[in-house]
Amino acid sequence: MKQKKLYVFRDIGLVTVLLALATAIGAVFQYFDFHQTNVVVVYILSVLLISRFTRGYFFGILASVISLLLFNWFFTEPYFTLKVNDMTYSITFAIMTLTSILTSALTTKVKKAAEDAKERENQSNALYQLTNHLTDAEDVNAIAEITVKSVSEVLVCPCAFIPFDEKGVPESVFVQIKEDGGIVRRELRGADELQRRMEQLHESVEITDRDYDFPIYGKSSILAVLRIPKDVGEKISASQTRMLHSIMESAALALERLRSLQAQAKSNEETTQERYRANLLRSISHDIRTPLSGMMGTSEILMSKTDKDDPRYGMAMDIYTDALWLHGLVENILNLTKIQDGKLVLNKQPEAVEEVIEAALAVMEKRMPDRSIQVEMPDSVVIAPMDAKLISQVIVNLLDNASKHTPSDAEISISVSVGEKNVYITVSDRGCGISESDLPYIFQKFYTTAGRSPDSKRGVGLGLAICQSIVDAHGGKIKAENREGGGASFIFTLPIGGESE
Amino acid sequence: MTEQSITVLIVEDDIQIRNFIAYTLRQEGFSCFAEGSAQSAMSVLVTQKIDLMLLDLGLPDFDGMEVIKKVRTWSEIPIIVVSARDQDREKAGALDAGADDYLTKPFSATELTARIRVAIRHIQMSARNKAQPELSVGDLVINLEQRQVFLKGEALHITPLEYSLLSLLFKNAGKVLTTQYIIREIYGVGYGTDTQALRALMAGLRRKIEPVPAKPRYILTEIGVGYRLVSE
Repeated sequence: MKQKKLYVFRDIGLVTVLLALATAIGAVFQYFDFHQTNVVVVYILSVLLISRFTRGYFFGILASVISLLLFNWFFTEPYFTLKVNDMTYSITFAIMTLTSILTSALTTKVKKAAEDAKERENQSNALYQLTNHLTDAEDVNAIAEITVKSVSEVLVCPCAFIPFDEKGVPESVFVQIKEDGGIVRRELRGADELQRRMEQLHESVEITDRDYDFPIYGKSSILAVLRIPKDVGEKISASQTRMLHSIMESAALALERLRSLQAQAKSNEETTQERYRANLLRSISHDIRTPLSGMMGTSEILMSKTDKDDPRYGMAMDIYTDALWLHGLVENILNLTKIQDGKLVLNKQPEAVEEVIEAALAVMEKRMPDRSIQVEMPDSVVIAPMDAKLISQVIVNLLDNASKHTPSDAEISISVSVGEKNVYITVSDRGCGISESDLPYIFQKFYTTAGRSPDSKRGVGLGLAICQSIVDAHGGKIKAENREGGGASFIFTLPIGGESE
Repeated sequence: MTEQSITVLIVEDDIQIRNFIAYTLRQEGFSCFAEGSAQSAMSVLVTQKIDLMLLDLGLPDFDGMEVIKKVRTWSEIPIIVVSARDQDREKAGALDAGADDYLTKPFSATELTARIRVAIRHIQMSARNKAQPELSVGDLVINLEQRQVFLKGEALHITPLEYSLLSLLFKNAGKVLTTQYIIREIYGVGYGTDTQALRALMAGLRRKIEPVPAKPRYILTEIGVGYRLVSE
């Protein structure tokens, strides 16, 4: 305010001095009897100078009017009056006024254009600097500091930068620049409220009782909020707004770049861990299975070398079956670890259900050559995306479970039917069924049927838990029920489209 | 080549399994060399007359895959790969690199000798079959000149793609062919890796030749790896 008044006084002084000077020079010219045109030119020159060095159009036009009056007063007959004897002077006056006004207007315009250009240059310089600094920024804090510094250069004020995390939640600490240019970190209060307001916001700024909050958006989500005190925000000019938006765009780019770098680093990390895990599992499984193979092979040889009535045959047989059981257990535990880590990468491919069942039957054939299993398949080919190895493991576990709970001459069957979205695979038996008290728990890990010594049937209660995990991972469902007429059936579904509905 | 004159090279780093395999094979009348590392196996391979190699994929000194590739540069002897259960990718890779078959640990003595016999027979047959227009497995007969297939003496109506699939399997009877290999051979190199079409093609073919597709008699599925046509 004060500054403006000062400019007005200065400009009035300038007008007075220059016009006085022009009049004085005119007097000298008259004394030496120069032609009057020279006096007119001196006045026009003074108007031009006044336009150049004062602010706005006003003083230039004022000066042109005053110089006309002065010329009339001092240099036309009768002197020292505003009257004119020679009417041809009116033409001189008209041209003089017009020339002065045009000159003044043109000068002012040129001056303004120069000022605008200067300002734009400053702005683009500032933005260039900003982008340069932002490119070097290594974390969110650095970006926040650089941003608030450049904003405070545009709008001298204590502005703040509130970063948001990937989930669109404001960080608990934000960065603010103080009046003296120092950077402080403050704890954010009302984070929930800010988040809610930003989620509902449809404009480029949110005005609260105290602040102007400018959201900074990335490609998909909000990245940060730039906060400016209300009194500064109210007086922001169009060019400052433009500048502010450019700064926010640069900050958004820098934040996005940072996020994508972090995401990349994270996925690299996960890949490495995944590789470690896979290697560990593989070496464990290799180290356990190899000696088991040796035990099984050797006991097999012993069996072939002894007579079936020889008690040593039975012993060798026991070694063989125990090793086989242990092998199945290791297999199941490894599978379960892989699945329950949640890190299991399903190798899903379109597979024919009949082939998966065939593979499961081949395993059962090897384990229990005497057991016959009925198969019911639809005539049409059923193809669904799945990890064939794992689904075949599910079927093996269900068949194995069925055979444990069924007398060796009772029926075990497997059937397939196709619905609109799912394939249904059912394994049924005519065994002892599942007691009502067990039914809700049978898919739990380490749950073995109550009322029976855990050792008698050789189950650690992992088989069905694995089945459930595998089916879940495929987006299907598994359930168990008792059949009419005795026995149990296990039904699981696989989505044909690949994803669960 | 009688079984008595067949020499098997066992390459396995675990001594128990090596002994078990060697014992079983000698019982069955094969002669054998047993080595614990790829290096020593290579030197046996170049100095002795070996008819078949049993190769463990997890050797201490060399990657089994490298061994297969190296051997295949100068020798066509049958290679049977021995591996743990969930190494499907390695199995398929080994087969594509030139191995003939694979055995999954733990395996029984019967399985082991059966696979060795199949591999030996395969090499004998493919030498003999080169000139033969007609090949057969059980009741299934394929005539490569007439491009016709017969089941129990009756001609079957099969599509040209089914015919190429079946003849590919017949030419490699007993041998596991990987899914990707079959796709390349039937649909061409540019087809990509999508398995859906092959699964459907196989299912269609099985419905024509197998009484119970889920319990196949002729074409067996090696889950996660590929297919094999039984050889008797």
